[in-house]
Amino acid sequence: MSDLTDKDLLAAEFVLGTLDDSERQQVHRQRQQDGELEQLIQAWEARLAPLGDEVKSIAPGPHLLARIERRIDAVEARAALQHSDDRVTRLRRRLTLWRGMAGVSSAAALILAALLVGAPTSSPDQSQFVAVFQQDDQQPAFMLSVNLEQRRLHVMPVTAKPMEDRSYQLWIKEASLGPTPQSVGVLDDDLSIDQSALQQYSPELLKRATFGISVEPSGGSPTGQPTGPAIHGYLYPTQAPGNQRL
Amino acid sequence: MTHVQRLESDTSAPSDAQSPQDRLVMLLARVEKGDREAFAELYQATSAKLFGTVLRILKDTTWADDVIQDVYVTIWQKADRFDRQRGSVIGWMATIARNAAIDDLRRAPRHQSEDDSHLEHAAATQASAFEQRDQDESSDRLSQCLEELEETRSQMVRLAYLDGWSRADLASHFGQPVNTVKTWLHRALKQLKGCLST
Repeated sequence: MSDLTDKDLLAAEFVLGTLDDSERQQVHRQRQQDGELEQLIQAWEARLAPLGDEVKSIAPGPHLLARIERRIDAVEARAALQHSDDRVTRLRRRLTLWRGMAGVSSAAALILAALLVGAPTSSPDQSQFVAVFQQDDQQPAFMLSVNLEQRRLHVMPVTAKPMEDRSYQLWIKEASLGPTPQSVGVLDDDLSIDQSALQQYSPELLKRATFGISVEPSGGSPTGQPTGPAIHGYLYPTQAPGNQRL
Repeated sequence: MTHVQRLESDTSAPSDAQSPQDRLVMLLARVEKGDREAFAELYQATSAKLFGTVLRILKDTTWADDVIQDVYVTIWQKADRFDRQRGSVIGWMATIARNAAIDDLRRAPRHQSEDDSHLEHAAATQASAFEQRDQDESSDRLSQCLEELEETRSQMVRLAYLDGWSRADLASHFGQPVNTVKTWLHRALKQLKGCLST
């Protein structure tokens, strides 16, 4: 009879299943850090695995897969949200910079832009980018979608409403364009904008750029710079590269 | 004999076609990349085995349903952790399922029927089930080593592993103090390890 260390016995009983709840939780924690314990557990799993052949297969209910798939949908949605939260954090840092440089003053008036990424799609369009202009972390005010290949842009008001005697103006800011934002154009009364307004910018520049939408006197900023409260967005691909799963 | 069990015993069959084991490896690799279709296929190929494993431990289909859902979500999330060197896909998945079922059972034993009759039933079916085992080499080896154990101890090992019995369940069934059961289990495990290493 071979002699077993306490750790080996712990691993053995863990795999056998006879440990009580607190002992099992302890092993679950310990095996994360203790390589030796992990190895011992794996060895016992391999030793006892053939016992599993004795288990009769029993088909689960027909609806179980659909329930599991819904759970996975929820898990993926949370992962995408977490992903976009990370981006919002990065975006906020970028905005602080933008704000300082743009000279748009009042912190109270200046509204944080947030960025949401659509749920991962099975057929990513690598040329489609979107920015969400979000007010006070509430509902998005505007969404901006840009097709980089065709350099076509589309502004979609979400909660933003046309205002009497005021215009919304879209700005672009990028290092190579100088220290101040450049006007892309003033939104029409129905809050749309000329689809070709970004034609002069390269896709690479557009990917790096920060966008802002400010509230201006009717017809647009009289100074050529944002004068009113602005909200900002930054383009992200509609499908992030890489693995989005947890 | 089920589809999944055939998969497991198919290791030695030489074939030009993709073996069922290889198919599971391929499916899991696709699942790792987020392929939902592959996930559904993997589920179809493995869920009866996993459900059987979990249900035998929990003895309650609703409870087993819940645990199996967690198990497959875990498999979806941790597909990248599978290491082919360590064993089969179905073995890896069954381990996740067993651990989830036993964790749940230990956490909330009240779920399980207090009536002991299922325990008696499980114990009574052991021998016959054991005789129908696959003719797999490692299976045979473990089977021989279990036979070398004192009968009570080999029963304890099987009841613990397959039916999720705790030390207390075993103690009450075999009419022994829990500490005695623990000692017996330790001796049985030592003996098994020694036997399997020869």
